[in-house]
Amino acid sequence: MKENKTAPYLFMLPALIIYLSVIIFPVFYSLWISFQSGTGIGSMEFVGMKNYTQLIHDEVFWMSFKHTIIWIVLTVFVTTTVSLMLAVLMNQKFRGRTFFRAFFYFPSVISAIAVAIIWRWIYNPQIGFINQFAQMLGLDFTQTWISTPNTALIALFIAALWQAIGQPMILFLAGLGGISPDVLEAASIDGANGVQTFFHITIPLMKDTFIMVISTLLIAAMKVYDIVKGLTDGGPNNATQVLASYMYNQVFQYNNVGYGTAIAIIMVLMMLIVIIPYMSFTAKKE
Amino acid sequence: MEGKAKKNAKSALRYLVLIILALLWIVPIVTLFLTAIKAKSDFISGLGLFEMPERLAWENFTNAMTQGRLFLYMKNDLIICLLKVPLGIFISSMAAFALTRTKLKHATAWFVFLLLGMMLPMQIALVPISIIYNKLGLINTYFGLFYIYIGFGVSFMILIMHGFMKGIDFAIDEAAYIDGANKWQNFFHIILPICKPAIATLFITDFLSTWNEYLLASVIINDNKLKTVPVGLMTFVGEHGTDYGYLCAGVLISVIPVMAVYLIFQRYFVEGMAGAVK
Repeated sequence: MKENKTAPYLFMLPALIIYLSVIIFPVFYSLWISFQSGTGIGSMEFVGMKNYTQLIHDEVFWMSFKHTIIWIVLTVFVTTTVSLMLAVLMNQKFRGRTFFRAFFYFPSVISAIAVAIIWRWIYNPQIGFINQFAQMLGLDFTQTWISTPNTALIALFIAALWQAIGQPMILFLAGLGGISPDVLEAASIDGANGVQTFFHITIPLMKDTFIMVISTLLIAAMKVYDIVKGLTDGGPNNATQVLASYMYNQVFQYNNVGYGTAIAIIMVLMMLIVIIPYMSFTAKKE
Repeated sequence: MEGKAKKNAKSALRYLVLIILALLWIVPIVTLFLTAIKAKSDFISGLGLFEMPERLAWENFTNAMTQGRLFLYMKNDLIICLLKVPLGIFISSMAAFALTRTKLKHATAWFVFLLLGMMLPMQIALVPISIIYNKLGLINTYFGLFYIYIGFGVSFMILIMHGFMKGIDFAIDEAAYIDGANKWQNFFHIILPICKPAIATLFITDFLSTWNEYLLASVIINDNKLKTVPVGLMTFVGEHGTDYGYLCAGVLISVIPVMAVYLIFQRYFVEGMAGAVK
């Protein structure tokens, strides 16, 4: 009988130890560091809310915040729409369907760092694909896509989109596959056309899939870092600086450890907007 | 007849759309390849992207592997993955077993608590981990890296294993216990083997995300001899910024093993992702 009571906890123990030490403890430790100032170990001093009040007056922080919000909005609307459209296309029966599905997914398996470096060769003003292709068509122009503040963020997003649509597409395909053909047939007998059926039947039936897709995309968008690091490193002139990259630069380039950690805390607070509903959704489903 | 013509037109349109999209999608890889086969002198002489060089510069590839240390980076990454992935799956399966198939109190609360890690940004752990690791001498160690990888991986793994184990018939456990098995025997000999499909999917997907991880690896590993592929790739780019062909060859090489793994185990990705929805 004794085994029955302790055994569940023993099974939980290894995961719990690692989880607490790698995730939960650092959250509180970070909170503590964010109230301090200094360049690193040994030289930290408690400054209360100073890092946070300084953030409010930091122009670059607000730029990073704005870019993160833009990135989230673009991700939720553009990435979701494009991957849903592709999934609808792939859900039809035709020859080569498996091939195309695998094909559009492949950028998802490449590391974001490699994706960033690959796209440098698309955007390169001298030997890059876009400008060379334009030249081939007889258009004589050179545009420095990622070193011009106006185009940098959108160019970055397009590179990220290339990689980002694979996973939501597969999730949408699974969602579409779960809808019974009878329901769709009934709708068409009742006189609904394809578009009506899609918006009034298919989309509402995929509610769970949408929640899953949008919450994973949202979380990924809030912490976007690798592609920024590899393609622009926040530049030019902070035109592509996001919270994650600004946090990293403050801590590891300028040695403002407390200040950078305060940015990480802000990121977590933003995440709570997603975390709390997601948690209650999961708890209810259980 | 009219219906058939309409159907044909629709089918043709579909292929047209797909082929245009596919061509757009392949552009980055084609560009990479067209640049990788050119020598430094080709760029100096102003050879265009779509023009073929007189001689294909295969030495770009061999040099990137050896002098560019890409072979070393791949070996390091492989070691990390082979340590992290099985261990992570094992401890997550144990936790999922406790959550779904034992009388653990407040199992739902535990489950939700354990999922938090999936959502928290890694940035929150960067400073504490680097401070602690500096004190403990864990910077530039594989243990330091894969320990924190496991920590950030357990949430997703528990989610997947939890979903799969929930679906296994509880009569199986009862039969095992009646036959005199204890919880550990049930876990190792009965439940874990049933979970093989979920484990296979997790193995492949987690292997790739571990292989591709950049942020934590860049903070914990700064010794060139120990770097993983994404961190090594950034170093490689930094070292050879203007040698375009060489650089692209290196990136292409880093992509090839991942592509091979993907092509071989393709169905696990699709099934695994679909499984996460349930």
